[in-house]
Amino acid sequence: MADMTLEMVQASQLGMKALGAGLAVGLTGIATGIAEMSIGSAAVGATAENKDIFGLALLFTVIPETIVIFGLVVALLLLF
Amino acid sequence: MFTPEDMSKVLVVAPKDQIEAVVKKLYSLNLFHIEDYVEQEEEEYEGYKIGMPLPQGSDTSRDLLKLRAVTNAIAVQGDGVSPRGRIESSRLKSQIEQDLPSIEKEVEALLERRSKLEAEAKEIEQLIDSLEPFADVPVDLDLLRGYENLAVFAGFISAKPELDVPHEELTAASRSGSLLILWVPAEHRNVVERKLLDTQFQAVPIPDESGMAQDRVHYYKGKLSDVEKEIEDVNHSLDNLKGKHQEFLLACDELLTAEVEMAEAPLRFATTENAFLAEGWIPSEDVHKFIEGMSVATGGSAYATELDIDMEKDTVPVEYDNLNFAQPTEFLMDIYSRPKYTEIDPTLMVSIIFPIFFGLILGDVCYGLLVLALALGLRKIITGDEGRMLLKILRNAGIASIIFGFLFSEFLGFPIPGVDPLLPNRHLAIGHAGGHGPAVPELMMMTVWIGILHITLGRIFGIVNHARQDHGKHRTLAVLANFGWLLVMYGILVAILSMFALPLMPDLTGWPVVAAGLTLPAFIGLGMLILGVLFIVRDSALEIVELPTILSHVLSYARIVGVGLSSVAIAGVVNFIAIGMFIEPQLEHFTAFGVVIIIVGVVVFLVGHIFNTILGMLGGGLQSMRLHYVEFFTKFYKGGGKKYNPFGMIKKFSED
Repeated sequence: MADMTLEMVQASQLGMKALGAGLAVGLTGIATGIAEMSIGSAAVGATAENKDIFGLALLFTVIPETIVIFGLVVALLLLF
Repeated sequence: MFTPEDMSKVLVVAPKDQIEAVVKKLYSLNLFHIEDYVEQEEEEYEGYKIGMPLPQGSDTSRDLLKLRAVTNAIAVQGDGVSPRGRIESSRLKSQIEQDLPSIEKEVEALLERRSKLEAEAKEIEQLIDSLEPFADVPVDLDLLRGYENLAVFAGFISAKPELDVPHEELTAASRSGSLLILWVPAEHRNVVERKLLDTQFQAVPIPDESGMAQDRVHYYKGKLSDVEKEIEDVNHSLDNLKGKHQEFLLACDELLTAEVEMAEAPLRFATTENAFLAEGWIPSEDVHKFIEGMSVATGGSAYATELDIDMEKDTVPVEYDNLNFAQPTEFLMDIYSRPKYTEIDPTLMVSIIFPIFFGLILGDVCYGLLVLALALGLRKIITGDEGRMLLKILRNAGIASIIFGFLFSEFLGFPIPGVDPLLPNRHLAIGHAGGHGPAVPELMMMTVWIGILHITLGRIFGIVNHARQDHGKHRTLAVLANFGWLLVMYGILVAILSMFALPLMPDLTGWPVVAAGLTLPAFIGLGMLILGVLFIVRDSALEIVELPTILSHVLSYARIVGVGLSSVAIAGVVNFIAIGMFIEPQLEHFTAFGVVIIIVGVVVFLVGHIFNTILGMLGGGLQSMRLHYVEFFTKFYKGGGKKYNPFGMIKKFSED
């Protein structure tokens, strides 16, 4: 480690930040996708049966989106 | 504006012999939303029965059914047709009797001919299919059948079977594999059959034809193309018929539909021995016109009156009452749910805020122009009511995009020269080192503010709704609970601001510490929070579990920045690939091959930006809608109103 210059340390810190931001958005995105998967398919089925509940169905479907939004917020705060 | 149109409940009573006159008048007024009469066991309903349809009803329905069969067969659709002129009803009626049967007969004859030809074509195709495997067999088809002492096998094989009985064989390659034809003495048939089964022999039926198979295939192919041509001719004459009679058929359809609807209307009325009652809704402003009209149409023998509305029992149908500007947005409202009669109708707010959100997400002058051009260009192609509404929404969104494009100073991802962004900068430094990156903290705070204001508006609507709809103690509690949600939200905000200085927010960090390391604003914030929670709990303790949504709903507006920045990033990447990597290096050293590369660059540029516009439209539209449906509507909106559907029809092709 002794031969690392200050610039190198700074650069690797930047890289780590970018990695962290990517992980934050990517992992939360996957999580949201998995969570929305089954809700979404049930919601589409229910809406096909009865169009009136579209609003409620959409509401249920997007509940897990909070996860990826938090991920996005964390990523943006990390990067800038 | 913020409420649906005022409705009045009216009752029409008339003697039974006036039923036709009343129904006709109701239909032509196109105002009366019939409340269907349902037979009930209760005392007050005793003696009433559901009415009988008018006598001419069944004949008219039969005519309509026949007409629909014809219009379906030649695919006449009313949506895409704009009438040249309207046909008078009385003339139309005589035409229905004279011309319609002949048209029907003509169409039926053509259809019958077509189905016969199609059956014929199918038969020929099957023949060709059965002949095809033998196409390369160099023997006359007569030689394959009709023996008394020989059995003939034909079929596809993968490997040649070893046969120890006397036989004659022939193999021919065909498209589906290699074909084996075997002649064996009839007495060995069973042995050979078993042997062939073992070697996965796929038998093919021997066609009942004579001559060389190839010639026969050729002959039938010729015949098939003749039949196909004939089908084409029939289709062509059907199209001609459609072109000639389309408007007439649509007018007939309209007239007959109206007559059937009128004939069936009494099924929705309550009748007694000698009279009938029709209950329904009309817009309050038309009550006088309606009562007068009823009396005139029946020579004074029908009695119409306005009834009191019982808000507990009656479901009042809902008709929007919006400014012209907000009317297209009713489409977005209906997707979610129509407002209830007593509820605030937020269409106007949505029609203003939706384009703003769209513009904030897709804030780019060029993309805005593209969206606008698309909305205007599609007007010719999309003519349905709902499609028109959607296009108008898209048009407004496009205009908002252009305005926000100037505010963000963006044109295809480039900064507009000479225009400084009024809103926080969104330009990303892609492909160039240095440069000022996007002002993300400012953008984030901007969206937090948008979220707070939007949610505050929603909560205020919620307070108004509860004040209007609820009664007694529950009303006070519900109003206070909504206020409590606001208190908690602002309490959290003040408490956070007292600890951290954030951009675009008032700085409350400088206050002296009062106690326990907390400043005065922190205490105020905590106080608001606790008070708010108390208000919420008094209304419903279970709501406590919803408290985290305050944070998540406000932060959810960060998607405006997230999706918006990603669209700017894609634009920047497209620009960098097309210009920085393809076009610019070639312009420095101009060569013949370079021209090709430059063209590739231009293609990448165009395709990339069109792709990004489509993505931006989807993202911008869906995300803004979602912010309304989920974050905004959950604060006050229930929906589930019944659509006002007046008895009558706006005639396009016929007139009285």
